[in-house]
Amino acid sequence: MFDIDYAESGEILCSGRLDAAQSARAEAFLGRLDTSHTLDFERLEYISSAGLAILLKTQKRLSGSGAAIRIINVNKHIYDIFRYSGFNTIFEIETL
Amino acid sequence: MPEKSFERSIESVAEIYRYSENIMAASGIDESVRFPVHLAIEELFVNLVRYNPGARRDILIAVEVANSRVVVTITDFDAAKFDVTKERQVNTAASLKEREPGGLGLLLIQHMVDTLEYDYRDGRSRTRFSKEPEATDV
Repeated sequence: MFDIDYAESGEILCSGRLDAAQSARAEAFLGRLDTSHTLDFERLEYISSAGLAILLKTQKRLSGSGAAIRIINVNKHIYDIFRYSGFNTIFEIETL
Repeated sequence: MPEKSFERSIESVAEIYRYSENIMAASGIDESVRFPVHLAIEELFVNLVRYNPGARRDILIAVEVANSRVVVTITDFDAAKFDVTKERQVNTAASLKEREPGGLGLLLIQHMVDTLEYDYRDGRSRTRFSKEPEATDV
């Protein structure tokens, strides 16, 4: 199960497993952003290349207006994925 | 071999996760192994679904555990030949402007599993990979 929603702080909380079957849900949510936001991954357990594609697509779109997404509370396994993909150089990332 | 068949659909990903997670959890496999195994299974399965649109038969997956080593075999039928062990050309050092979504799945697998084999014969493709804990994980 995957969930994505705003926290009271304004950050975007992601939880569960962002796999190929759930990526459309993430895309529908992130596709509505038009300003810089922080994604909190503390409760995100898993991400595959389908989720990475949505993050990259969102970052590219936002960069056109000078905005960006920042990702915080990334667990070790997901950070490994980001590192192998080179995402650690195109996103601002904070690990747990 | 505890082989199970899965419908050729992206929606099967959750069922595949439950199947492989149950086997690995029952054997006490550490999360440091389970995560890359789940990732590799999903990436390989999704590739078969997306890039073999003419195939109709279910896809077979077997997850086996021996000691702390996990071996996964994924078999597809009526498949086009696509060697997943070949090196992927993805420039992970490219700038945001140069990067395009896609192409990362097999690259990730090649980073994260210990062995990766591919066999193709008469339309049947079989991919096998293994993963065991790093020395520092034990």
